[in-house]
Amino acid sequence: MRRTKEHAVEIFFVFSAYFSALLTVVIFGFMLALGLPLLAEGRIFSIMTQPWAPHLGQFGIQPMIVGTLAISLLSMLFAFPLSLGCAILISVVSRGTVSWLLRKMVEMMTGIPTVIYGFVGIFLLVPLVREFFAAGSGMCVLSAALMLTLLVSPTMILFFCESFARVPDSYGKAVLAVGGTEIQKFFHVTLPNSWPGVVIGFTLALGRALGDTLIALMIAGNAVQTPNSLLDSARTLTSHIALVFAADYESLEFKAIFACGIFLYLFTTILVMAVRLLGVGRERWAR
Amino acid sequence: MEKAVKIRTENLCFSYNGRTILHKTSIEFAEREITAIVGPSGSGKSTFLLTLNRLWEAIPRCSLQGTVAMNFDGSFHDIYREGYPVTRLRRQVGMVFQIPNPLPMSIYRNVAFPLQLKGGLTKETIRAQVEDCLRKARLWDEVHDRLHSSALDLSGGQQQRLCIARALILQPEVLLLDEPTSALDHATAAAIEELLLELKKNCTILLVSHYLNQVTRIADTVIELHNGTLVRKGEKA
Repeated sequence: MRRTKEHAVEIFFVFSAYFSALLTVVIFGFMLALGLPLLAEGRIFSIMTQPWAPHLGQFGIQPMIVGTLAISLLSMLFAFPLSLGCAILISVVSRGTVSWLLRKMVEMMTGIPTVIYGFVGIFLLVPLVREFFAAGSGMCVLSAALMLTLLVSPTMILFFCESFARVPDSYGKAVLAVGGTEIQKFFHVTLPNSWPGVVIGFTLALGRALGDTLIALMIAGNAVQTPNSLLDSARTLTSHIALVFAADYESLEFKAIFACGIFLYLFTTILVMAVRLLGVGRERWAR
Repeated sequence: MEKAVKIRTENLCFSYNGRTILHKTSIEFAEREITAIVGPSGSGKSTFLLTLNRLWEAIPRCSLQGTVAMNFDGSFHDIYREGYPVTRLRRQVGMVFQIPNPLPMSIYRNVAFPLQLKGGLTKETIRAQVEDCLRKARLWDEVHDRLHSSALDLSGGQQQRLCIARALILQPEVLLLDEPTSALDHATAAAIEELLLELKKNCTILLVSHYLNQVTRIADTVIELHNGTLVRKGEKA
């Protein structure tokens, strides 16, 4: 009886795992099927390099590709050191009430709806960027990246803290017992042994930065142009999908949206895989 | 002949999680002796050791009153004095834990690690000292051909000897051992006991032990921790 029960549970979990894995493949297939007409005619190259000018029959998404990469990678450039620093502050440097308070604050930040970040961006950050750099409207790559940093950091901070906490206590005691400082303990033992967790936290945040729509939509300015500087307005692939108005399902415009989806999917996959591969080298002793 | 005193506690009170481990305990530990600390399990023997290298400070909800003074370089130093360098203290007071805790590094780096943290030594010096300590801990013959493989692949007994080697490399003046042979087989335990008798020549050893025959074999003094006080039970003639 018990065996049957265990067997049933096992089948259920295996099914769930395969089902969710299959789901992502199906979504990719669906996008591929709908975006195929644009890609099949050998136009994949022109889509990647051309500008978006529907009235001229050009449905290139190159500006959006650049916009997406610029905003998400820049935000990760800000967010990773910031999150690592915050996690070290919470887990290593501060103790007791201060650590608890900081942690609760970060936990609260994860619950704030994205649109609130967007509003704060429009009314606080955008004017600040406009005043400070005295160039353009302030709705630009930099503003969006800064706000996105604030959005992806809390989850990353908590993930890092959890990874640090999972390093066995006995390792830390071993370092302290031979006259190591808390900082030495962190850099020699805690960080190397929580590295796989740090890599996963980074990839999750990267996925979120690439896929986020609202922040870029509200703050980046959405101009269909390839940004030349951090103060230029830009449009991301996700914003583009949200903004293109296409009622006709047969139109190339509509199909171009699916091309956007395919590229977004591919970027996320490639970047996540690259980060994982780069991260693997550090896992040698971490068992 | 009265031996010189190495460690002296005065009115030492220690509580952990609201439970009193020590209550106003004043006791002296003689230099270059093996003192065994016995007592019923759960009486706080292991925790008592932590008051001597201040390692309890990393544990939340502990409190300590009173003083612990140690004789370094001919004079007594209060190790709880404000500004006393705790890292230096822990280099002079080595510790081996009950459950072997090698770091997830190579065998070589585990032993070299305390010296690397301390800094200021050449690779050759470190290499020579690592070999010396591994030999002292009776581990060299078993690992000399795989020094750069992970320490976590060693057996429990080998891991414990590795931890002893790691504690020895800083040439501590005091060595705290928390049931160091409980994970070892008879032959290895005997080898470790022999090693402790040899180390005693220039090291003060405090040994928490459950094994009465081990205590009678190697300890010069036996102290029992019971109901929050340390009581001298007996001394070898």
